[in-house]
Amino acid sequence: MIATKENKATIPAQLEGEFQTLLSKTFSSEPEWLKEKRKEAFDSFCQTGLPTRKNEEYKYTDLKKIFSGNFTAVHNESHALNFIPAPIAEGSIRLVFINGWLHKDSTLSSKLPKGVLIGNLATDGLLKHADFLKKNFSSNEDALSRLNDALWTDGAFVYVPENIRLEIPVEIIHISTGKKELLSSPRHLIIAEKNSSVSIIENNISVDTFAPMIINSQTDIFSGENSNVQYYRLQNDCRNVSLISSTHVKQEKNSHFDTNTITLGNEWTRNNLRIDLEGENCESHLNGLFVTNGTAHTDNHTSVLHNKPNGQSNQLYKGILDGRSTGIFNGKIFVERDAQKTNAYQSSKNILLSDDATINTKPQLEIYADDVKCSHGSSTGKLDEDALFYLRTRGLSEDSARRLLLYAFANDVLNTIKNESLKNYLEELVNERLEK
Amino acid sequence: MLTIKNLHAGISEKEILKGFNLEVKAGEVHAIMGPNGSGKSTLSNVLAGKKEYEVTAGEVKFKGKDLLVMSPEDRAREGLFLAFQYPIEIPGVSNINFLKTAINEIRAYKKMQPIDAKDFLKLVKEKQALVELQVTLANRSVNEGFSGGEKKRNEIFQMAMLEPTLCILDETDSGLDIDALRIVANGVNKLRSKNRSFVVITHYQRLLDYIIPDFVHVMYDGRIVKSGAKELALELEKKGYDWVKEKLAVGSGQ
Amino acid sequence: MADKNEILEEHISSEYKYGWSSDIKMDSAPKGLSEDIVRFISKKKNEPAWMLEWRLKAYRHWLTMKEPHDWAHLEYPKINYQDIIFYAAPKQKKELASLDEVDPELLKTFEKLGISLEEQKRLSGVQSTIAVDAVIDSVSVKTTFKETLSEKGIIFCSFSEAVQEHSELIKKYMGSVVPYTDNYFAALNSAVFTDGSFCYIPKGVRCPMELSTYFRINTAGTGQFERTLIIADEGAYVSYLEGCTAPQRDENQLHAAVVEIVAHKNGEVKYSTVQNWYPGDKEGKGGIYNFVTKRGICLEANSKISWTQVETGSAITWKYPSVILKGDNSIGEFYSVAVTNNHQQADTGTKMIHIGKNTRSTIVSKGISAGVSNNSYRGLVRVSKGATNARNHSQCDSLLIGSTCGAHTFPYIEIKDKSAIVEHEATTSKIGEDQIFYCNQRGIETEKAVSLIVNGYCKEVLNQLPMEFAVEAQKLLAVSLEGSVG
Repeated sequence: MIATKENKATIPAQLEGEFQTLLSKTFSSEPEWLKEKRKEAFDSFCQTGLPTRKNEEYKYTDLKKIFSGNFTAVHNESHALNFIPAPIAEGSIRLVFINGWLHKDSTLSSKLPKGVLIGNLATDGLLKHADFLKKNFSSNEDALSRLNDALWTDGAFVYVPENIRLEIPVEIIHISTGKKELLSSPRHLIIAEKNSSVSIIENNISVDTFAPMIINSQTDIFSGENSNVQYYRLQNDCRNVSLISSTHVKQEKNSHFDTNTITLGNEWTRNNLRIDLEGENCESHLNGLFVTNGTAHTDNHTSVLHNKPNGQSNQLYKGILDGRSTGIFNGKIFVERDAQKTNAYQSSKNILLSDDATINTKPQLEIYADDVKCSHGSSTGKLDEDALFYLRTRGLSEDSARRLLLYAFANDVLNTIKNESLKNYLEELVNERLEK
Repeated sequence: MLTIKNLHAGISEKEILKGFNLEVKAGEVHAIMGPNGSGKSTLSNVLAGKKEYEVTAGEVKFKGKDLLVMSPEDRAREGLFLAFQYPIEIPGVSNINFLKTAINEIRAYKKMQPIDAKDFLKLVKEKQALVELQVTLANRSVNEGFSGGEKKRNEIFQMAMLEPTLCILDETDSGLDIDALRIVANGVNKLRSKNRSFVVITHYQRLLDYIIPDFVHVMYDGRIVKSGAKELALELEKKGYDWVKEKLAVGSGQ
Repeated sequence: MADKNEILEEHISSEYKYGWSSDIKMDSAPKGLSEDIVRFISKKKNEPAWMLEWRLKAYRHWLTMKEPHDWAHLEYPKINYQDIIFYAAPKQKKELASLDEVDPELLKTFEKLGISLEEQKRLSGVQSTIAVDAVIDSVSVKTTFKETLSEKGIIFCSFSEAVQEHSELIKKYMGSVVPYTDNYFAALNSAVFTDGSFCYIPKGVRCPMELSTYFRINTAGTGQFERTLIIADEGAYVSYLEGCTAPQRDENQLHAAVVEIVAHKNGEVKYSTVQNWYPGDKEGKGGIYNFVTKRGICLEANSKISWTQVETGSAITWKYPSVILKGDNSIGEFYSVAVTNNHQQADTGTKMIHIGKNTRSTIVSKGISAGVSNNSYRGLVRVSKGATNARNHSQCDSLLIGSTCGAHTFPYIEIKDKSAIVEHEATTSKIGEDQIFYCNQRGIETEKAVSLIVNGYCKEVLNQLPMEFAVEAQKLLAVSLEGSVG
């Protein structure tokens, strides 16, 4: 589809040609169904274009600015990288991707339980499990997800079969690096079947990025009946990077899903997190923390869709904003007619440390069932002066009293992390960040 | 006044009352005692007409009328009052407004004129003193922010205001300290008359030290298994409910 | 307890109480909208050139705008503006010398509404005296108590009269809070408004009585576009009431009003609305489209503007009474009850824009949804940079009656000052079965129990209304929800 006049402005000019190049070269050996899916997705992206600020979901985030650069989506150079971060969680399985492509130094343990598949989507997934992928590949509604549907290059593929509890965490590390302006489109697929459990850490970092980068990342998670999935999204110190990270979770009955999104020191971040509670008795916990300064822009969008009865969801997002940074929390709880006895809670709490920082919050409820308990709270304020004073009368300097209180504020979110080594790692990071 | 014959009732297809019989005449005070789970609360809910409870057999006559076909509000208008074990809070609805509405609905049912505002306030004052309820009711919502004791006293106060003919007290003593218990019991005693009957449902004997019953019934597994005079309560207190269960086990062997 | 269907049946038969139409001789413009119609309206009202100029500017701007259909949680067809009569006035040959000369049908109309145009005390006690400006379709027909008020220097008259008699004030303030460029419906109103109320309270005067405007749409196929402008000068105070009704008609009628409030230093305006436009029938046929722009500005220090609204009518309500807190220490309040039943849709809330220092705002919103209706709260709290020590507390509660309706909350919170303390809370609940049963046990039937519980739930808001309005509002709530609970 050719962009119409009206939306031309919101589709980066180079994309049309680059998509054709990718199809004929990079994606040429892919199965037909996938290429079809890519074309469909690209067409539908072109129909809407990039969402503008008139779109309620992008009211506070300007994509035009991000996509206005001279970036290219066509790239598959392998990078020699001296620096690969150490594992966060001890003994974890690591998959490393650079600019959307698998890095050869990924460490895969051979001692995986029977039936567990961990690898990359582009080769392991497509070569060995094409039929399976075809069945499980989903398309997403959001325009940016549609763009990823069309352009994705590679990413992690994690499959945990029925009744398997995978004790070792899986770390998916995405590194942005290089001197060229790139649009990278990593894509991860995580499937936890009935009665299984898995813990995923998705870590986005940047190393020696000398040109502005856009990452448009998509993660799809399928949490089967009675499964238990933990998904931690870390975004630390992505410099010169505009990170769009979309996650779509589908939960079947009696499943339990925990997620944390921790954003520290990024320059520009947009997180989409959508959870569909598609079976009865699902439980989801969504927690987030962002600590920003400079001119950072951090936008957290969540939507929790309660489609079936007896669901429980709980959201806690906290922000500490300094400098001229901007934070956004936009959360939506949607309760369908059938979803009686839903219990949904949402809380957004923020502290502004500077006169130039901005926070915009939009906690929303859309309720169509009557026998539900739904509530949200949002508060923005400064540190409790009485508490500060109290600490100072006990001998703390104003600085350390302030830091202590900020740390306590942030710790509410970190405390929800079940993986101990990850929690310790983040506690240290947050502490460091707050000292800056 | 009240005749219950072979009442079978339950909730969510589970039968709880299994052939319950009781005859209460005007002016009598009946105590129903029994261990947890014997069906005491089910009985009060069925009599008041809570819709979750299903009556599967038997009949209940109240002043000669079939009670079971009546709506909960008509039962109340006919003179049945249930003092709830857990009185619910209704935010924003003032006690006074609530009571006035109730009284006038009952009066309308009896084809009487609405109560005069002055008379109403006089009545409130008078009856409030009866249960030593000192809270200023006008500004407070129904049961909202009331202590456990205040809630129970409020129930008895409402009872005094609505002037029912049959009062069912569902575990009114639970959660009350000894002073509150005395006050509530005194209130009830002052309301005793030859035209008004009471069914006092309780787990413990101590309430019956203050409200002296004419009859005591022991309830177990959904029916009355033993009836007697007020001394039965003391015996029960001494020997515990196991005594009844044991006797029952022996009895069922006959 | 009665069967759900039975009660629904019953509700279906509960009728809109104000649904008659009066047989009053009308003087109307032809259907449709054009520059000529704008000129026609201006000419009919014998307006000065500057007024016509302003209207035309607004009209030309309106032509460049698009009817909003995207962001609100509302669904309505595109409105055909060529199918609406933009001017309809009761035929009057000359200025009326006394009430005796008013069309008796018209007087009857207001009697039915429960409004007396006779200058008498409505209830005992001086405080409850109300001065009324009655607007039927497009034109203000009678303002009472004018003389009493003018003794104190208070101006309370129809907007048309103010254009003629107080043009300096109109020129100074009209459009200063809601410019004609503000939004689609404000632009439309600015082009074609036909009348409304004007109120000016001079320095240091506390208005001794409630001022009130009753709006009624009568003629079929007309739109109503009134404008209200209220100014509280330094240290002045006024409490203003607004009531609205319309006859039952099968077609949708458009109401697009603009209300502007200006509060000067130490000035205070309390604006209360009981909105009961015809909501349409149980199938969702007919009813008023209520697209209203209401905004006040606390222009100078220590001023206060308070909005209270009870919204029970209209097929669609699109309304966000707002306060711009420009003066230091100024206060904005918004208390709202919105009830939707059957096919009604409401998207209503407020905007509190904090600009001055030490400004405070309070938002209390109670939404009640029944039938297959949708009820949304949409509100913005903005703390601008430099609005030191701004405080806001918002409480938005939704009550659902039955499981075929929807209740939604869309708060927008934008904060650019670190000293701000902004809190938002929202809950969703239903009427507890246990609460109803408790009332039943005390002899109160379900219908009445629901009305009792709903009124309790709304108490915080109803308490803000002047006595007479509070009673009317309580009754309206009961009528609106009749039969919605099984």
